[in-house]
Amino acid sequence: MSAADLADFRADVRAWCRAHIPSDWRAAQTGATDAEFVAFQQAWFQELRGAGYAVPHWPAEWGGGMSVAQQTVLYRELAAHDAPRLVLAFVAIHHAAATLLAAGTDAQRERHLPAILDGEIWVQGFSEPDAGSDLAALRTTARRQGDAYVVNGQKVWASGAAHADQCLLLARTDPAAPKRRGISYLLMDMRSPGVEVRPIRQATGESHFCEIFLDDVVIPAGNLVGPEHDGWRVAQETLGTERGMTMLELAERLGNGGFRWLVEACARPGRDGTAPLDDSRVRDRLAELETEVTGLRALCADLVANDAPGPADASIVKLYYSELLQRMTDFGAQIAGPAAHTVLRKPLSSGWESGAWVLDFVGSWEWTIPGGTSEIQRSIIGERGLGLPREPKAV
Amino acid sequence: MPEEHAELHAELRAVVRDLLAKTGPDAAPDWRTLARSGWLGLEAPEELDGAGASFAETAVVLHEFGRAAARGPYPAVAALALGALTLLEPSPGRDGLIEATVAGRTVPILALDGEAEHVPFRLLRTATGLALHGAARFVQEAPAADRLLLPALDPAGTPVLVDLPARTAGLTGSAIPVLDETRTFGEISAQGPTVPEDSVLRFADEAKAVRRLHDRAAVALACDSLGSAEAMLDATVAYAGTREQFGRRIGSFQAVKHLCADMLVKVEVARHLVGAAVRAEAGEGDPVAAAMAKSHACAAAVEVAGTAMQLHGGMGYTWESGIHVHLKRVTLDRELCGSPAAHRRRLADRYPALARGEAETYTSR
Ligand SMILES: Cc1cc2nc3c(=O)[nH]c(=O)nc-3n(C[C@H](O)[C@H](O)[C@H](O)COP(=O)(O)OP(=O)(O)OC[C@H]3O[C@@H](n4cnc5c(N)ncnc54)[C@H](O)[C@@H]3O)c2cc1C
Repeated sequence: MSAADLADFRADVRAWCRAHIPSDWRAAQTGATDAEFVAFQQAWFQELRGAGYAVPHWPAEWGGGMSVAQQTVLYRELAAHDAPRLVLAFVAIHHAAATLLAAGTDAQRERHLPAILDGEIWVQGFSEPDAGSDLAALRTTARRQGDAYVVNGQKVWASGAAHADQCLLLARTDPAAPKRRGISYLLMDMRSPGVEVRPIRQATGESHFCEIFLDDVVIPAGNLVGPEHDGWRVAQETLGTERGMTMLELAERLGNGGFRWLVEACARPGRDGTAPLDDSRVRDRLAELETEVTGLRALCADLVANDAPGPADASIVKLYYSELLQRMTDFGAQIAGPAAHTVLRKPLSSGWESGAWVLDFVGSWEWTIPGGTSEIQRSIIGERGLGLPREPKAV
Repeated sequence: MPEEHAELHAELRAVVRDLLAKTGPDAAPDWRTLARSGWLGLEAPEELDGAGASFAETAVVLHEFGRAAARGPYPAVAALALGALTLLEPSPGRDGLIEATVAGRTVPILALDGEAEHVPFRLLRTATGLALHGAARFVQEAPAADRLLLPALDPAGTPVLVDLPARTAGLTGSAIPVLDETRTFGEISAQGPTVPEDSVLRFADEAKAVRRLHDRAAVALACDSLGSAEAMLDATVAYAGTREQFGRRIGSFQAVKHLCADMLVKVEVARHLVGAAVRAEAGEGDPVAAAMAKSHACAAAVEVAGTAMQLHGGMGYTWESGIHVHLKRVTLDRELCGSPAAHRRRLADRYPALARGEAETYTSR
């Protein structure tokens, strides 16, 4: 696409954003009930879909087909116009779609990709009570019985499980094999008998992640993704696929709304009449944060534009984003003072920065813990990025 | 970056690295060799025997100089003096000077004050003509100069560049010894030497000229620091991959590995900020990008060099290891031409307008 076409596209997206983003969505989504949240997310997804903006990263034949340059423009504009985020559909349009496209059967793709466009919600059921960072230690079993698997075990921290229709499930099909070789990747209907979901209240007070108990759940053998016992490889290959563009979107949001709100908060006079911005230390810290966000945005733009990223590039971006988010929201909490502690709810459908500084600060651990903790990322960067010696194997 | 540029840069980088490796850490690369290589005239127009390239190419060389902690006046001449000359209105004086510089026949030094951001000199009109007054401290590579380019305000208060032979009566230079043994600095002071009219060179864009001189000096130092930080990261990774303690290579300890990972993240972020500032400097310039690159990359380089010393243990603290060379160099880079705090102050000057919704942040562009 030529520069002129891209400029036209940007103008189209801008016009669309002005016409379609509800101006009051933050207020409406603050303190919204679960049902209101789900209804809003589903409606917003269809709105984006109507414009062709919901799954730009999918292949054209399935309803996507945007170039990386176009997607970059799209996410920049959505961020600049403070659009709601697709929180509920996230696993469906990224992890589930990537898995199906890379390793699924034609039947699985035809069954689920159109359904996702119609609003099918997915959850990722990987982590278990005793298998977090060491995911390959997972113990949920799937025993083959005729044309089906019978699944028993427990999953935990599954984001959005309470609303999910389908689950990406990792289960052990060969207990005798070495840890990583006996795992299979399955698609599980969340309405199957034997599936029980219990929400867990999280640090922010909301209950978006859940435990999933699995008691003799029957999954048809046709729902196996990739070869039997080869689920670890399937998961590894599809886990990071969404990282680049997602990080770009989050970085743009941090640079736009996030930083702007921070400066506005700093400019607001306090009860003594002075504003934090009058303090040179505050200005210095703001300038440092602006510089860091600018560096992050450049890193992300590079990551998505690079056809052959380095083996640790995504980890570098994830680590830097998550810790910068933490520093920024921490600073916001300090600037806003005790008053920020009276903000008891933050808007749903938002990113991780919403201007509710204390909740945003607490919520920033939603980025430093999941998807490989910061410690795990540093080890990946050291070993894969720098080629440092691996740790000795546990005995 | 277009692909052919990337290839060109990779080629240039390899040749520079090779030359600096051959030169070794204790000598400056031979000036005639530098002139013949064309690196002095990368930014000079082709009709003046230059390469007609941009600051992006000069930056590749600066980066390698930082990586090798190389000696000699190349950065001061190619980035600062020649950079200043290219900002001037074409004139026979300017053109001749560019040609002589590119050919290596003269070593002009820009008398920019490395300690404080100001226009260090004033031209006063006297009965006998123009006289120059003022002083600049921490002038990079001043002891190497045979010509001095002195930023001054003319009698009307307009910024100009005064071109004088280094040995001019009424112009004195004294060396300022520093801990960083890889570079030299001097103080230049003018006690009223007479300045011929044709030694007063005018800037093409007088309103932006002073800002651009300072920004270029800042970005050049950021390139130097980035190169040095990369060298320190590489050295540390190599050491941690071979040095053994407790029966393991120390790089397998998480405490060591994670510090190395943090070094890489710092270098990557700095690389992107410096890259943006270099691209801007190769065009119209961007004070915001320059301030971000200088404040961030130079501070990061000091942290990286410090971590390198720490992770090399007792060996790192020796003179022989050479880590102190980089630590001293980047610590000086950090303080020269505006500290990180000074550059952040400039960034922060935009925030009141931003809070009123009257300005865009850099990030929202
Ligand atoms: C908000 C949120 C949403 C989540 N959503 C999902 C989801 O949708 N689906 C899903 O499957 N999972 C989800 N998770 C789970 C997440 O992936 C795990 O929490 C994460 O991988 C860490 O595992 P753990 O909680 O068992 O902690 P542990 O692995 O027990 O880690 C505890 C601490 O030990 C450190 N540690 C562990 N091993 C090492 C090591 N080798 N080296 C150095 N340090 C180490 C960790 O860094 C951490 O600091 C979610 C988690 C959160 C917080």
